[in-house]
Amino acid sequence: MQDATAVPKAGENVWLWLTKIISGLIVFVVLTIHLIVNHYVAPEGLFYYDDVINYFKNPLIPIMEGTFLVFVVIHSSLGLRSIILDRNPTQKVMRVVDTVFVVGGLAVIVYGIWLLVYVAGLG
Amino acid sequence: MLSREQQGLNWLLQWFDPRGRSIGGLAFILNRITALGLVLYLYLHLYYLRQLTMGPQVWNAFIDSAENSPWIGIGELFVIAGGLIHGLNGLRIALNSFNIAVPYQKQLFYGLFTLALIGIAFFAVHMFGA
Amino acid sequence: MSDEKWTVTFIIHRQKGPDSQPHFDEFTIEIHPEEFVLDGVEYIWAYKDRSLVFRHACHHTTCGACGMRVNGVEKLACMTKIADVTQDGGKIKLEPLRNFPIVGDLVVDLGPLYRKMHEVHAPEVIPLCASPWEGEGIKPPQETPKREDGEEYIRLPDCIECGLCVSACPTAASDAEYLGPAVLAAIHIQGIDENPDLLALADSREGVWRCHSAYECSAVCPSNVDPAWRIMDLRKQIIARRLKFKK
Ligand code: HEM
Ligand code: SF4
Repeated sequence: MQDATAVPKAGENVWLWLTKIISGLIVFVVLTIHLIVNHYVAPEGLFYYDDVINYFKNPLIPIMEGTFLVFVVIHSSLGLRSIILDRNPTQKVMRVVDTVFVVGGLAVIVYGIWLLVYVAGLG
Repeated sequence: MLSREQQGLNWLLQWFDPRGRSIGGLAFILNRITALGLVLYLYLHLYYLRQLTMGPQVWNAFIDSAENSPWIGIGELFVIAGGLIHGLNGLRIALNSFNIAVPYQKQLFYGLFTLALIGIAFFAVHMFGA
Repeated sequence: MSDEKWTVTFIIHRQKGPDSQPHFDEFTIEIHPEEFVLDGVEYIWAYKDRSLVFRHACHHTTCGACGMRVNGVEKLACMTKIADVTQDGGKIKLEPLRNFPIVGDLVVDLGPLYRKMHEVHAPEVIPLCASPWEGEGIKPPQETPKREDGEEYIRLPDCIECGLCVSACPTAASDAEYLGPAVLAAIHIQGIDENPDLLALADSREGVWRCHSAYECSAVCPSNVDPAWRIMDLRKQIIARRLKFKK
């Protein structure tokens, strides 16, 4: 333990926390729907190429998967970020970390949605 | 001055060492380990899905090789287990954060963890059962 | 109560200063199972090794000086009964608190905790209306008796600044600046509405959001503070204030 900083440090606050919790809850809901839908749409499992393409013919599926992707990236990035904050990095390191998460997270989301649109377009 | 725990990698031990921990501490360890596992899986999954764009042969060959390896099935079960444990415990943390049921956090953990175990057993039977 | 004593081996962490190598010394003594761990430590110091460094004052859980880890769990040695932590012929492992700089053997420097408590102007006394009824969980008393002159009764706060909670907290292990359970509890008990500076501190990087709900602080707190509950209640209050449910 070290002495307290008299000035509160920026970098974590109620809004980030709420985003983490709410995105976690959305992931939970979408994952539950995903399991139920898969059970009815593809009771034998979803593996081979044609099965996947067929599955994505229903427009609700890419929407569901896309929602999942966006919120799981947000949630897991905020989660990892808070693990990093637990190591008490300097503000300078945190600026780099934040940039990596924002740029990387956006790149992953763009890639994922491109993939969804591509696969849905194959049907 | 830093304490011994804050030097070197000793803090890692205090994050993950289950000795002497109470139920809440064990839940924290499980939550963190499953979270890291799920992140690893998420990004591997996204990476391998790229093969869907390479046509049916590539994808089906990938699925066949995965189907032949027992590790993939076990790995999948681990992901499901991680998702259930982390997700259900996440509900507990979320509720507690609004100061709901904090005095019952242990009972809540027992209940949700039992639910997760039932879910894991269900999927295990579903995947590996006859 | 029988007069029979137990044979117990104390395995004690020894370290001459922060920079020297730690090791463990073993002392086997006869001790009554109804005695306390601190009694054993004092016996060892008196009859076996006068160089043993440990700290205590009151012997009855008010001073918070004898906090240490007994078999890996944070305890006040003065109120930890031998019979509760070992058996006849058994062992007791004693280590200093974690997450504080070591002074020597079983003593750590609690200065960082005291200075953080000072930083959040933790009160020396609190009004009776802000104190919990014992045994009912953390609730303000339903009816606070009034003094004849209309003033409020005051009492000492529950927190004895023993540092057990900080030692048990996994976040405190890796983030030396984290305010930690006792300090956040001290913010809670003063109220964030009355103290905007404390609200800002609680809603900052080293505040309530660093907590990961391991609840170890409340598991080890010897003094009815229930810091984890207070951290969660602070979260609820901060969320309500920031979302303007409550001005
Ligand atoms: C299924 C629904 C999920 C829920 C309800 C949920 C909920 C939560 C909650 C409440 C936390 C905060 C823990 C804390 O700070 O003490 C958390 C942390 C975290 N979550 Fe999730 N989560 C879910 C799914 C996921 C998934 C799928 C991933 C990864 C791809 C993930 C990654 C993380 C990470 C990395 C953390 C940080 C862990 C830590 O602080 O130790 N979560 N989650
Ligand atoms: S909150 Fe409890 S454990 Fe922490 S310093 Fe105060 S009395 Fe000790």
